[in-house]
Amino acid sequence: MLILGIETSCDETAAAVLEIIPTSSRTHDEIGGNSKLEILSNVVSSQIKIHQKYKGIVPEVAARAHFEKILPVLLASLATPARFAGASARRECSAKASLASPNETFARRRDSLDKDQGKTPAVKKMKEIDLIAVTYGPGLVTSLLVGLEAAKTLSYIFKKPLIPVNHLEGHIYANWLPSSSEFLKFQNKQIFPSVCLIVSGGHTELLLMKDYGRYQRLGGTRDDAAGECFDKVAKLLNLGYPGGPAIEDCASKFKIPSGSDPTGRRQNSKFKINLPRPMIWSHDFDFSFSGLKTAVLYKTRTSKINKGFVKALACETQESIVDVLITKTIKAVKRFNAKSVILSGGVAANQRLRDQMKKEAEKIGKIFLVPSKNFCTDNAAMIAMAGYFNYCLLNTKQKNKLLYNWQKIEVDSNVNLR
Amino acid sequence: MSISDDMKKITKSEKETFKLGQKLARRLAGGEVIALIGDLGAGKTIFIKGLAKGLGIKQMITSPSFVIMKVYKVKSREIKYLCHIDAYRLTNGQELIDIGINDWLGGKGIVTVIEWADRVKKILPKKRIKIKIDFGKKENERRIKIKHYDANLRI
Repeated sequence: MLILGIETSCDETAAAVLEIIPTSSRTHDEIGGNSKLEILSNVVSSQIKIHQKYKGIVPEVAARAHFEKILPVLLASLATPARFAGASARRECSAKASLASPNETFARRRDSLDKDQGKTPAVKKMKEIDLIAVTYGPGLVTSLLVGLEAAKTLSYIFKKPLIPVNHLEGHIYANWLPSSSEFLKFQNKQIFPSVCLIVSGGHTELLLMKDYGRYQRLGGTRDDAAGECFDKVAKLLNLGYPGGPAIEDCASKFKIPSGSDPTGRRQNSKFKINLPRPMIWSHDFDFSFSGLKTAVLYKTRTSKINKGFVKALACETQESIVDVLITKTIKAVKRFNAKSVILSGGVAANQRLRDQMKKEAEKIGKIFLVPSKNFCTDNAAMIAMAGYFNYCLLNTKQKNKLLYNWQKIEVDSNVNLR
Repeated sequence: MSISDDMKKITKSEKETFKLGQKLARRLAGGEVIALIGDLGAGKTIFIKGLAKGLGIKQMITSPSFVIMKVYKVKSREIKYLCHIDAYRLTNGQELIDIGINDWLGGKGIVTVIEWADRVKKILPKKRIKIKIDFGKKENERRIKIKHYDANLRI
């Protein structure tokens, strides 16, 4: 089964083609870790260079850049190795149902378009795609629209089923991508229930994943997202954008004296910076990072700022964020007796968070999963992956309806995962 | 506390800033546009959290920096929605228009509150409540200036 994933929820324009071959005993209706998975293409056209001069993402710039990049990115994702051509033989998803066009003129135009462009390699390959998965939210409305409209158009022209994907669910399923983790080694019952922490520039969500497609929200941020905190602190310290890598890089240059104080907190003796760990001992699973940003601001006002101080402050900011995220996640694992910890989202690319979370999870005997770093940030392969799992959960009637989804899917910038 | 159209207030803690937002909410009737100006960490979000509580919103108010705009339903006779906008990542008002802000701005029964309003002031209506939050002398002190187009408003 060939799946085309399209993602434009924030600052990345991305498209990917994923091939999933069920092993002999399994079909696509059975979800399991046994299927063979291959990423045929994964194109991410990051716009970070455009945004850098604004110290943040500028939505209008983002939307315009998406618009300029969506076609080249789609074409690049479809220009994949030769073995792609043979994949159609393994097709399972039926696209036989004819499309009842609401407007004949449009249908005719579509047919002529089909004929004219049928010769180009990308169109040929597009015809072999079995399913289109696209992000419909949450995100920035104007950005989301570009990807969604592109997906709808492809679905209509090529008569392909279209499945909407929640961006957050995409982040979780990044863990199922082949080069990501050792996920496929585990059986479902070894994984679920699992505690998922999704941390990115726009989200900090703690979820209990009971099974494929079944989630319970445990908590989330009450103000700023963890990634947003990284971004804003980086701006306060003039470290540049994106803030996460900038702070991680700066923090890595700060040498913490060996040995820690009795509370387990690493001390930076020279500068004696102690930032708060907001809500770390609260009785819920919520987070708050707005106050941390303010605390950093106060530190920059009361102390002399030199390079060493900035490094120490960057290090302490990272420690604070990582501490809170891990404490709350591990608390959730214990409370719900989860079998694994799934980390995902852009902030999951932070090495300190990965290392510490792995250490803490394995200390209590839980499986720890995190995507490889290139699949932590926004990409379309994870959207295709989530699209596949959601597709498998549908019955035949629901699957057939996907062909007409291009008429009704709309962007939803504030959608929650249930 | 009955300084009318140009009110200055000093809050000594986050809690007081929150309460000021709560108080302002009681004076709203829907259709207002509130323009908030203040640096990172000034307490804009706290003020809006108070405002939301004053409007009776139980949902969590989170930073809309990422999605630019979040809309919350309000259960009251006059006010139906609180529209929370964050212009932090924007450079001009046109970008907000592209997102579809005109469907909300100043609409009947809609309270619109905009953080970093100085970045998009060109597209805001003249009839707006301007709120400027500055840092005070002490760490947790904030000087809050509220300028209302209607001189009769009392907070």
